[in-house]
Amino acid sequence: MSAAKVKMRGKKMRNQPASVQYPSSLLNAESSPKNGGDTPVTGKGVHEGPSDVHPFTARPKNPHQRGGWVRGHQKDGGGYAKEMSKYITAGPFARARAAEVSTMLKAVTKTTGSCHVFGALPKHMRRRAMSHNTKRLPRRLRDAANRMREKSLQAGSKKKKEQAKSKSRKARRRHGNLLLEFNRRQRKNVWLETHIWHAKRFHMVKKWGYCLGDRPTYKCYRPSYRAMSSHCLLQDLSYYCCIELQGEEDKLLASLSQLCSKEAGPTFAAAVCLSGRRQGSVVVYRAGLYPSQPLGPVTFLWRPRTQGSAHRQLWIWAHPNMKQDLLPELQAVCQCCEAVVPPVLPVVTPAEVVPTVEPEPKPEKTAEAKQVTGTKRKRTFKDAGGPPAKKILGDGTRSPTTSVTWKSSSNGIVINDLTMEIVRYRLIGPQSHSVLAETMEPATDCDEMNKSQPSSLWWPEHCKNQSKMNLHREQADVFHILKGLYSTGELPSGTVLGLTVDDPRLTLPTKKVKALPCVKQAQEVDEEKTRELMLRGVPEHCCQSYLWEQSVRDNVTENKISEQELNRMRSEVLVPGSRLSPTPLQGRVPVLLVHQPGKQLGHEMSSWGAGWDLLLPKGWGMAFWVPLVYRGVHIGGLNMSLKHSQNKGAPHFPHDYPDCPAGVRFQEEQETQLLDKFKRRPPAKRTNYIKHGCLAPFCCPWQQLAEEWELISRQGGEERKGDQTQTTAEADALMTSHGDIPVTKPPSRVTVLRNRKSLRVLSGWCRPTTSKGQRRCRVGEVPPLDRLALTSFLTAHGMSLVWVRLSILSKGKPELHAMVCAPTAEDLKLLKKESFSGPQEPTHKDHFKSRIRRRKKAPKKAATSSLCRDKAEGKESELPSASEPNPATSEDAKSSSQSPSHLVVGLWPDPLPSVTAHCSRVTLGWVTQGDFSLSAGCGEALGFVSVAGLLNTLLNQPMEHRGMLLLRDPTSLHYRFAKINIEV
Amino acid sequence: MVRVKSRYLLCEVNVSDRSRLLLLDDRAVAATVKAAVARIHGDYGAALCSIRFSVKYLNAHTGIVFLRFPKKCYRLLWSALPFITCIETRGQKISCFLNCLHVGGTMRTCQKFLIRYNTQQLHRMLPKCKNEEEKQQVQKAILNCSLTGRNKEAFEVESESEEDEEEE
Repeated sequence: MSAAKVKMRGKKMRNQPASVQYPSSLLNAESSPKNGGDTPVTGKGVHEGPSDVHPFTARPKNPHQRGGWVRGHQKDGGGYAKEMSKYITAGPFARARAAEVSTMLKAVTKTTGSCHVFGALPKHMRRRAMSHNTKRLPRRLRDAANRMREKSLQAGSKKKKEQAKSKSRKARRRHGNLLLEFNRRQRKNVWLETHIWHAKRFHMVKKWGYCLGDRPTYKCYRPSYRAMSSHCLLQDLSYYCCIELQGEEDKLLASLSQLCSKEAGPTFAAAVCLSGRRQGSVVVYRAGLYPSQPLGPVTFLWRPRTQGSAHRQLWIWAHPNMKQDLLPELQAVCQCCEAVVPPVLPVVTPAEVVPTVEPEPKPEKTAEAKQVTGTKRKRTFKDAGGPPAKKILGDGTRSPTTSVTWKSSSNGIVINDLTMEIVRYRLIGPQSHSVLAETMEPATDCDEMNKSQPSSLWWPEHCKNQSKMNLHREQADVFHILKGLYSTGELPSGTVLGLTVDDPRLTLPTKKVKALPCVKQAQEVDEEKTRELMLRGVPEHCCQSYLWEQSVRDNVTENKISEQELNRMRSEVLVPGSRLSPTPLQGRVPVLLVHQPGKQLGHEMSSWGAGWDLLLPKGWGMAFWVPLVYRGVHIGGLNMSLKHSQNKGAPHFPHDYPDCPAGVRFQEEQETQLLDKFKRRPPAKRTNYIKHGCLAPFCCPWQQLAEEWELISRQGGEERKGDQTQTTAEADALMTSHGDIPVTKPPSRVTVLRNRKSLRVLSGWCRPTTSKGQRRCRVGEVPPLDRLALTSFLTAHGMSLVWVRLSILSKGKPELHAMVCAPTAEDLKLLKKESFSGPQEPTHKDHFKSRIRRRKKAPKKAATSSLCRDKAEGKESELPSASEPNPATSEDAKSSSQSPSHLVVGLWPDPLPSVTAHCSRVTLGWVTQGDFSLSAGCGEALGFVSVAGLLNTLLNQPMEHRGMLLLRDPTSLHYRFAKINIEV
Repeated sequence: MVRVKSRYLLCEVNVSDRSRLLLLDDRAVAATVKAAVARIHGDYGAALCSIRFSVKYLNAHTGIVFLRFPKKCYRLLWSALPFITCIETRGQKISCFLNCLHVGGTMRTCQKFLIRYNTQQLHRMLPKCKNEEEKQQVQKAILNCSLTGRNKEAFEVESESEEDEEEE
């Protein structure tokens, strides 16, 4: 029993009578009893023990030393001791009884247990919260209770420091304090500008250093899908990182060309993108390592050329998870290693702002000097009594002195990290353009009077320049044409439109309305123009926007009218609810509209999920968000963006990039997450994945899969070499590849096949089974699939995975990490029968269960010896498990060598057996995204399969069943037929 | 409400030789009771007696014993008590018998009963006193009991609680 427990017990029992009995030693010592003995002792026997008697034995009253519950028995020697008088005398008799009565009385009147005073009260007199408010007690008990309370308070304060008094709710909710609290909370994770809005409506997750909305708290899966396919879904993508590159065009292109390859599609240098008319997307690789070591997909946007200048500006948008990989790579490629310390305290008054668009080298000071001045100035600023809490715009986690700009001394390229500088909203759906058209209005001109005065705002200055105004008018025209479109998907993908718009808060409707297209009226007006827009896209000069210029951005951000001010102005309007006129000059915002292509791959549902991205200067996020929401859009979170890309059939970053470092990180995270979830269930309720023959339910071992398939295909090749006479060249090639592979094996990592040509060939081989029975008309281009073509293909891409879409033929919903397997010939024969839904996997046997059980029992038997024995056996176990001479000993050794933490019931312990041949059907790959597809109306899965495995399977399949594979969920034994699609 | 229920037997150990009363100790009593139950009711009884049977209180001067039995089977165990004729303790046999005075559901009721019983006894003793000295002693004892009853008790509560606080 612990000391505290003893103490508690003592307290509880202190009023209880203890037995009155004499240990032998006491009797020997001829002591007198205490609790009223029969011996003639003068006075009260209770309190008078002889002095020579030890109090331990003599005072049963003392609860700490001798409670009734501690039986202080000593082994008695059997010595005879005490004479009690043979006859009864009245005095001692009466005394003994009296003493007993008094102890009993004490026990009865004082309740046991609780040490609270009100414990003494009968139950019907007890009141709620008596211990808290002593005035609820009867007066006679109050003093004692007060004393008790003070004591407990003291004890409490002694133990822990007095808690900081939290302010009242009212004080906490006061604006300044609230801001301070918000700023404190976003020190660790960046908040987007719409954070508060999202936090009220979404399940928030902390990911990649941001607080992001995962999914709404209300049910909206299907409405969101409907919005994507028929109206508009809005997402805040401001967490995407923008990296700005500035420099000479040829130098930029030269350095960027190392990062990607033409084989994988258009690069940074694609003509349409380079002109600035389109946004491009590309998968970035480590410099010069094209087929291996990809970093991830990025989208990029060139600023349209200005006349007579080779200086270009490029924005690269990347996912925050890959920024840490991408940024050093870009710096290395551009040789930008000099960090430029940011100018401290951007006090933006437009007159003194130096436009950073020009690559004029900033005055080079040593970092230390600048930093010193920076901190000083900051301090003085604080002393001056500036507002104590200011809303954080941009990245709150970064200290203001962290450099975000790097420049190169050799080639003049400047890299600028514009993370959180630009707000990016994504509108998905065919009606996105009408939502935009309804929300935003091209900026109104300012009147003559304003023009003449010099202004600190950018727009009046801008209005003075006639050519700029002409451009603005043209852009506004194009924007008006947008209204006449039927669907967003009609536009060429990636179209860019620069625009300057009015503050959308001014035109905020009083009620939420659903933005609808007004095709009819617009069509009559300018059908010609619409057609031209649809065919050619936006003319190049209209893609220019002042969002590109940092000075304008800062000016706009600084001079935003606060909500409060705006409301005040509204309240002053003569007719309540009417529009403010004239429009306040501050409310002109340069924006950039970027068309987002929909489904590009495949032949069904083309351009599904197309939409617009709206780029805004920072600080204006909520000003645009609420008006957009008022146009009846649905809001989606991270969850919806996953579904969006799933319906598009496109890989989603970082889920579907297992070869990128970010993807690897994501997979590890996902594995721990799923494993935790799995372990949270009671063991008897967990799925036994071993019995289902599922080796890796949580994390797909892509590397192992690719290696195994390469081995299998190579063995196949060697066998063939035996019976077929092959050209020596091929054999040589095989031999050399065979010879040098063991050497190159360690670095050869699994990659995803992104070579467009090879993909096209592969896609052709998978036909004629595109899903839904649609056949492509031109089949003849691809070479026929035979051994020769296969071998040559495999030598190039033997270790690759390929992104495939699988649509299930019958019912069934593929889950995450479902296995993609190859059907046997019998399966394909049975497929012709109507009723055959798919083969069954026989249940596997779980050999590990018994081991775990034995393991559990073992510690009971030999708890103490196991430790030392384990150490000894751990060494021994290496030998038998390697050679495996007889199963019993090796099994024992294994079970002892594997620590119980590694053995989880239902999961394969770490060294997995062969993943390909583990089940009755050969495994080709796994599904990374699978769900019932609302767009296709059947289960659809997206995932990777090994190229070698796929080709070997396809080769053995008859022509009419080519491309037919099997899918099996990790928790099921039923295989389902699915058609494979490789879409280029 | 929901608790393990027991029966508490308040017994009096009646000995022939009063001088040997002081030798009593709770283990000896417990062992004797167990033995008696085993003798009368066999293994079944012994088993019943091994669960939650204990001697909660023993006063060697007055010979008062509290026995706790499980409520389920206390009648059975109780029926064995009359067969106890001697208690063996410290190598000696004390011939005695147990006289059950009260059966209570809680210790508290037994204690209350004991108070009443003892005071009653003292009161009975008072008129039968043979000499003045005895009378005075008994009176004093009665006063002790009754005084602690009301007024004194209130004071005692105060003083003791203070004492306790000082201790802690």
